[in-house]
Amino acid sequence: MMYIRTSSRPAERRTRTITIALGSIVALVILLQVFIPHFLPAIFTTIARPFWRMEFSIQSGSLKSPTELLAENEALKIRIQELSTQDASADLLRTQNAELLSVLGRPDLSLTSFNSGSNATGSSTTASSSMSDIRRTYSTLSSAGARMLAAVLVRPPLTGYDELIVDAGADQGVVAGAKVYAPGNILIGTTTDVLGQTSKVTLLSSPGLTYPVLIGANHMPATAVGRGGGQYEAQVPQATKIAQGDSILDASLSDEAFGTVTAVISNPADPFETVLFSPEINVYQLRWVLIDQNNQSQPYLNTQKTVSSVPSTVQTVKSTSTKVKK
Amino acid sequence: MNRTVLFRIFLDSALFVTIINGWWFVAFPLVIIGAWRFYYTIEIVLAGIMYDALFGMVPAVGVWGYAGTITAFGILIILHVLKKVVR
Repeated sequence: MMYIRTSSRPAERRTRTITIALGSIVALVILLQVFIPHFLPAIFTTIARPFWRMEFSIQSGSLKSPTELLAENEALKIRIQELSTQDASADLLRTQNAELLSVLGRPDLSLTSFNSGSNATGSSTTASSSMSDIRRTYSTLSSAGARMLAAVLVRPPLTGYDELIVDAGADQGVVAGAKVYAPGNILIGTTTDVLGQTSKVTLLSSPGLTYPVLIGANHMPATAVGRGGGQYEAQVPQATKIAQGDSILDASLSDEAFGTVTAVISNPADPFETVLFSPEINVYQLRWVLIDQNNQSQPYLNTQKTVSSVPSTVQTVKSTSTKVKK
Repeated sequence: MNRTVLFRIFLDSALFVTIINGWWFVAFPLVIIGAWRFYYTIEIVLAGIMYDALFGMVPAVGVWGYAGTITAFGILIILHVLKKVVR
């Protein structure tokens, strides 16, 4: 019986060729990562960015009818008027705060949140459809452009890694290691990989990352350990009287909001209790973030550095220490 | 164009969309179907590399930043061996 040969190449030869091709791909990826670490992310991000932007535009209501957009524009103008009025009273508090700080001998600790700078809330805050206009407007509203507004293109839990991808990169002046805040001045992460038009923001709640915080009214110092998805835990002594709803502050001089205690797990046999907390916002629903533009590049965020170079402020911890106490 | 080629193009397009959006849990079964149905689906490895390039490859997460690539290779090799045993 005769059979028609389906391929001119023997099967083993074809298998060997494909195996060599796969091996070459692996070698190429390794070499690129060693010598040009941003090459692959830059290429694939360039491909993906138009799709992300399109998705964001659709979610933002770019496909709404002109009537709806006009109505929304009117509503936003009214809201801006309301906020301008509120901001005037905030100005008074800000001035009072500055006076009290100077009385206490710490005039350098004046508020630098993005809520300040109300002088710019006049005609410049017109509703604008383009992303760059919104960014420019918001930067004007922020404290002398100290923080930049960025749209969140990809967020957890859909991504496998606990990080955000935002639409501002080196071209907009973002540097690696910059602090990233959610609206409401809540510290949520840092930029770890900055490309031309996009940046990866590693959330502080990433499993294994730690961050120093102050818990409760007594400002109990503790180390927040990330549990993923915007959730943290910290170990504190039993007698600290921390309760659900207590606020968590960033343990730096700025005392920025970090989160709220959601639960306290205590065991009488254990001298420590576990405090679970999360930020006031839901990281799964974040659409905009603010990127600090005053930060300098930090060594642990350099993609060429290894994990061992992580400083004490944000560092990976051994898996044994990240286990939640039952 | 026969149905096999059309199915492969459809599968690759679906894989591309899921990877762009970071839907690894959708990409995973597609990858398994592709690796089982076709002979040496190299695009699976490319999908893994693309996923890691987009969302991983950050030193803070260490080797986990390459989970997509490693998984793609694992699936490809395991299914290749499995197919040899079964067929």
